[in-house]
Amino acid sequence: MTVAAPTPRKVEVLTNPQRLRDRAAEAPDRVALREKFLGIWSDFTFGEYWEAAETVAHALLALGIEPGDRVAIHSENRPEWLFADLGIQAVRAASMGLYPTNPSAEVKYLLENSGSRIVITEDQEQTDKALAVKDQLPALERIVYIEPRGIRDRYDHPILMSWTDFLAEGRRHREQHPQAVAEVMATATEDDLATLVYTSGTTGPPKGAMLTVKNVNAAVAIAGADSGFVSPQPGPDDLIISYLPLCHAYERAFSEWFGLSAGTVVNFGESLETIQTDLREIQPSIFQSVPRIYEKMHAGVLIRAASASRLKKLNYSIWIAAADRIGRTLERTGGVHTLSTRVLYGLGYLFLYRALKERLGLRRCRHAISGAAPIAPEILRFFMGIGVPIYEAYGMTENSIVATTNRRGRVKLGTVGEAYPGIELKIDDQTGEILVRHDGVFAGYWRMEEATANTVDEDGWLHTGDVGEWVDGTHVKIVDRMKDIIITAGGKNISPSEIENTLKTSPFVGEAVVIGDRRKYLTALIGIDYDVVSSWAQSKGITHTTYQDLTEKPEVRKLIERVVEETNEKFARVEHLRKFSFFTKELDEDDGELTATQKVKRAAIEKRFSHLIEAMY
Amino acid sequence: MRGRPGLITSYRKDISLFRTGTQRLWLVVLLLVALWLPLWMPNDWLVPAGISLFAAIGAIGLNLVTGYAGQVSLGHAFFLGIGAYTASALSTVEGPGTRGLLAYGYDMIIWLPAAGLVAALLGVIVAPVALRLKGLYLAFVTLGLVFLGQHLFQSWRELTGGAGIGRRAAELSLLGFRFDEDGEVFGVFLSDTQKIYFLGFVLLVVMALVAKNLARSRIGRAFAAIRDRDIAAEIMGIDLTRYKVIAFAISSFYAGVAGALLFTVTGFLEPNAFNLELSIFYVAMVLIGGVATISGSIMGAVFVTMLPNLIDFVSDYLPYDPATGPLNTGQLEAILFGLLIVVFLIFEPLGLYGLWIRIRNYWKAWPFSY
Repeated sequence: MTVAAPTPRKVEVLTNPQRLRDRAAEAPDRVALREKFLGIWSDFTFGEYWEAAETVAHALLALGIEPGDRVAIHSENRPEWLFADLGIQAVRAASMGLYPTNPSAEVKYLLENSGSRIVITEDQEQTDKALAVKDQLPALERIVYIEPRGIRDRYDHPILMSWTDFLAEGRRHREQHPQAVAEVMATATEDDLATLVYTSGTTGPPKGAMLTVKNVNAAVAIAGADSGFVSPQPGPDDLIISYLPLCHAYERAFSEWFGLSAGTVVNFGESLETIQTDLREIQPSIFQSVPRIYEKMHAGVLIRAASASRLKKLNYSIWIAAADRIGRTLERTGGVHTLSTRVLYGLGYLFLYRALKERLGLRRCRHAISGAAPIAPEILRFFMGIGVPIYEAYGMTENSIVATTNRRGRVKLGTVGEAYPGIELKIDDQTGEILVRHDGVFAGYWRMEEATANTVDEDGWLHTGDVGEWVDGTHVKIVDRMKDIIITAGGKNISPSEIENTLKTSPFVGEAVVIGDRRKYLTALIGIDYDVVSSWAQSKGITHTTYQDLTEKPEVRKLIERVVEETNEKFARVEHLRKFSFFTKELDEDDGELTATQKVKRAAIEKRFSHLIEAMY
Repeated sequence: MRGRPGLITSYRKDISLFRTGTQRLWLVVLLLVALWLPLWMPNDWLVPAGISLFAAIGAIGLNLVTGYAGQVSLGHAFFLGIGAYTASALSTVEGPGTRGLLAYGYDMIIWLPAAGLVAALLGVIVAPVALRLKGLYLAFVTLGLVFLGQHLFQSWRELTGGAGIGRRAAELSLLGFRFDEDGEVFGVFLSDTQKIYFLGFVLLVVMALVAKNLARSRIGRAFAAIRDRDIAAEIMGIDLTRYKVIAFAISSFYAGVAGALLFTVTGFLEPNAFNLELSIFYVAMVLIGGVATISGSIMGAVFVTMLPNLIDFVSDYLPYDPATGPLNTGQLEAILFGLLIVVFLIFEPLGLYGLWIRIRNYWKAWPFSY
């Protein structure tokens, strides 16, 4: 007797394109997206959104894309990114996003590894990267460029196709086969690959995590629900701003998955650099972000308050002290206001918080999320105090960013919160590793059987690679990445990220890497925040030129020494930093020191700056 | 989107006259206060207040050509005079007091627009000069215009009555309704000065709104481009001839209307009134109020016109009394003007409006300094 292969469940699977189609049918004139273009936030309605995505889908069919194929997108966040992604998913192909900062060699690896047949590039810069390596990519059939500037009339290559021609192709196809896309969409199954998300690769080459329709739906059902990421759950009245890289699962979940399932308005700013201005203009009601952004905001507030006029400074110091008190009380109560904090906040709102939040662009923010990396409790307390509730959450590409989150009224600073209802999460007794199991757990790494087997065991548990511990039996605290844990020569287990984050709460410290594995004591490599330290130095009358020049100033060294001492006071003796050195340059992605998500590549750093490290021992 | 003033979704919204609800609210409050003032103000304040409203129309006119379009004009007195005499001639009814003078006896509904249009026509004739000259040279030529005008007004007896004699100003009679006589309006008794104030108020609001709208329109943007760099403006496709002519025409229209009304309060016109000093007064209004702003023009006009009253008012509290001291109010005024222009040009080129902006920015930047 033969065992029949399990047929994929053929239910009315709702895919992202289907969600979009339904929204467009229901409210075609409602605003879905906004893009800042020539100084104006221009609208796209759900009707236009679906029209564009469907046209892309037709164009892909016309170019012969079939279910299961991969199509790459290499662009900054912009509406076309989503049009392309949804068009790709509509024809049951998988999208694969590249970071705009990916250099040509990385582009080659990612396109080759994913076997993409088409790559959609944003502009001349990205097109050049793809063109440079296309001879080594036999699978690559087309490069569709969105911005014709610098390409049109200058580049003459059969592989190139403009976005306009691409859409025209789509419209032609629609005229000939009006039902073609609808037919393909109707055959979608839960096991269809929706997207390939490449991990940033702090260790080794990037791996493509396969997220299926089922994974996406699980994320929408679990994290998009009332008890999920944002509570009360997001709705059509919410505004979000899309600025983190869309190829990362975090931003994609907010801009696309939740945007479609909840109907929130997604706003595209001009770029990551203009985020402050864009935020001020949009005043989003939900803000998804990473610690680095919050740290920068916090540092910006400190600097500007320090250079304010006397009266304003006085006002600031009074009410920021009050905010600290509010923050501490909220920390104790888990985020629930008491009568006294409410009164204090009401007064402070008049004098400081309202204006401060307006300046930060978070005045109308009802729910802010910090994820992707650990954030220092001091930062969270600061924002809690001024009335911006930031909830730290935990998740990763491999589990469709669904694992734990802090909840309204049940916040514990320093933890990543509680597991979502309906998912399984446990901490391995032996290794302390956090294990997760639910429908959002990915289908494996693309063409990497071994890596997949190392990550998901036979019982379906995802091994996150993060060491965690329970706090009060409900909340999870992340100790560190398993491979980052430092074991000193004395045999002590130390989590470097905790020390690093405490260092980074100082506005003067931009990067910190703690060293000490198999060594007698701990040391740190510190990168100063050039802007902050430079303005500090100017106010002290210290002349300086470059980053390196600034780090060599004895005053700067003193300044950071103080920061290190303050940090040491908060830790046990074995965890004290005995020495530190400055990075001789600002860390950079192009030099392989940072990942595309701006995470430090520890191994690369230890190798590159080994002379600095050895000098400290 | 409500409550998100920065979220601008169209260019129309970007250039709307009043962007936020708060702005609109304050405008309404300001208008209500302005309407409430004449109900209790004593006459010696109300008369200059009424004049200042008419002067504001003239100041807006000068600001359009000098502030917005950057064509420095010292000839504003000439256009004011043209407006005043046109209105007077059209309005005066032939009778024993008008012997030998032009007198047509038309209603205000005719003479007010006519005063503006005749001045505008002369503006169009003068404008080509501005095509050839810039800056200081243009200022000199327009200065010449004032002297030409004075000579014209003094010699054309049929129109002006001649130097030292003069003639009556236009009559404020709109379709039979007299602004220059006490009487009941909708059952409320109003004095002539109150009526004139309300007339000035309505006209100023309308003309200020038109000017503000013009400033944000294609024409206004062309003006600003010409002011900032005429060569660049031309390269952008702005027809310099056309827009300079438009600037002078509109500015002169405002001056004509203002001139027609200004002298109705005192009721008498004398050719020597339209001299260089009058031009300087208007330049002072623009400079003190704020270059290239409508609200600044109004502030400047009110401030400059009311200055004698202010000096009187302040001198009550000062040890120095203009009535007995070596300098009388008029001389003090002249000195103060000079000082004010110097001080504003050096410390606050944006004028009173600039002071307001400073205060606003202080609060806008709250809780920081930038």
